[in-house]
Amino acid sequence: MISSGKVVKLYYDVASPYSWLAFEVLFRYRNVWNIDLKLKPAYLGGVKHGSGNQPPAFIPNKMQYMASDLKLLSEYFGVPMFKPSKLYETDSLFPMRFVTAVAEQHKEGDGLVERVSRELWKRMWRTHQDITQPASFIEAGLKAGLSTNEVEEILTLAKSQPIKDKLKSVTKEALEFKCFGLPFIVCHVNGKAEVFFGSDRFELMAYFIREKWMGPQPTNLTATM
Amino acid sequence: MSSPRKVVELFYDVVSPYSWLAFEVLCRYRNVWNIDLKFKPAFLGGVMQGSGNRPPGMIPNKFYYMNTDLKRLSEYFVVPLNPPLNPVEAMFEKGSLNAMRFVTAVAEKNKEGDGPVERVSRELWKRIWSTDQDITQPASFIEAGLKAGLSANEVEEFLTLAKSQPMKDKLKSATQEVLDYRGFGFPCIVCHVNGKAEVFFGSDRFELMAHCIGEKWVGPQPLKPTAKM
Repeated sequence: MISSGKVVKLYYDVASPYSWLAFEVLFRYRNVWNIDLKLKPAYLGGVKHGSGNQPPAFIPNKMQYMASDLKLLSEYFGVPMFKPSKLYETDSLFPMRFVTAVAEQHKEGDGLVERVSRELWKRMWRTHQDITQPASFIEAGLKAGLSTNEVEEILTLAKSQPIKDKLKSVTKEALEFKCFGLPFIVCHVNGKAEVFFGSDRFELMAYFIREKWMGPQPTNLTATM
Repeated sequence: MSSPRKVVELFYDVVSPYSWLAFEVLCRYRNVWNIDLKFKPAFLGGVMQGSGNRPPGMIPNKFYYMNTDLKRLSEYFVVPLNPPLNPVEAMFEKGSLNAMRFVTAVAEKNKEGDGPVERVSRELWKRIWSTDQDITQPASFIEAGLKAGLSANEVEEFLTLAKSQPMKDKLKSATQEVLDYRGFGFPCIVCHVNGKAEVFFGSDRFELMAHCIGEKWVGPQPLKPTAKM
């Protein structure tokens, strides 16, 4: 079947909770909207550095707001999550290299990148477990359906120069779209790239890609929308 | 007996374009939702300073994104937003202190009904965010006031009142209220439901806000029969 050509790229980092919301919404809509969803694991630290932006929670009032915002959103979106206490002690360079390595080994779109990303989000944002150590990637990988051998292979690959370069280059791609934070969604419609930052532009995005927004749980018809 | 209206406070500053979007949406919904909408003119510069935040436009990529974002939102929300030719000058160098003192004075003298505050606020937004006109000089407030349906006498009265200490204090205290809610920017919407205050930042939380106050969000144009939602 020829696709309508509405490519939707999601640049994300598992350290970003709003990226998780955007991720789950886009997966729910990938068979509702006529879109070709492409996952783009990127590095939030690199985006911040490259754009000169600060993490939102450097501002105490923003930090407090984020906690209550995420509480409400996680319930409304049906993606349970809780802010970890040591939020800014987690650097996501290693997990995003791991995800990049998974993406490199599983290009055919068999759901592994999706599942591994989700397992890492769950670790950091739900069960408050580590996401920086090899043991954490092994656990997440196994939970996502990789075999022990596959995980070991990916762990090794993740430390290689090509994967470091790949993550850098995807992050640079986002910066070329003038990205300053994640999630960052790029929709290609009629030869034009429309960019949307955050998990709160879906209604607007739907309007511009000529689709219908039915709330964050489109297949749950008893949802508030 | 119908249930009591839910108090919804909109803290805003006319220097803030996203505040204009939130303002128009809430004006459209005030007779659709069971809410008691209260306008709270406040000073964004004071909120930024008090919270240690910086204007988003100081980051080049954010500034670029905001221009695209506002253009699209203007179309979708049907609010005629047009960034001024020199936004840095308009927002940061000239600012909105006098404008918000003027709006505060209008609010002070029109406590029984907020029609004048609504109309004056809108005229000021149109000046800075639609037709690229000044909002710092008395002549600007006179024009805006007259366009909003105030008489020349009333405008002069508000101009004088705006410079008084009580009005300066009133604006400061509204700004402090935002900081007490741990606000860091505008628009800041506070919904009072079941004795609890739920705070929402920005013009992109209406769907969530509706869910929290037991109402239904049908997009930014609730009264349009062929609305996109």
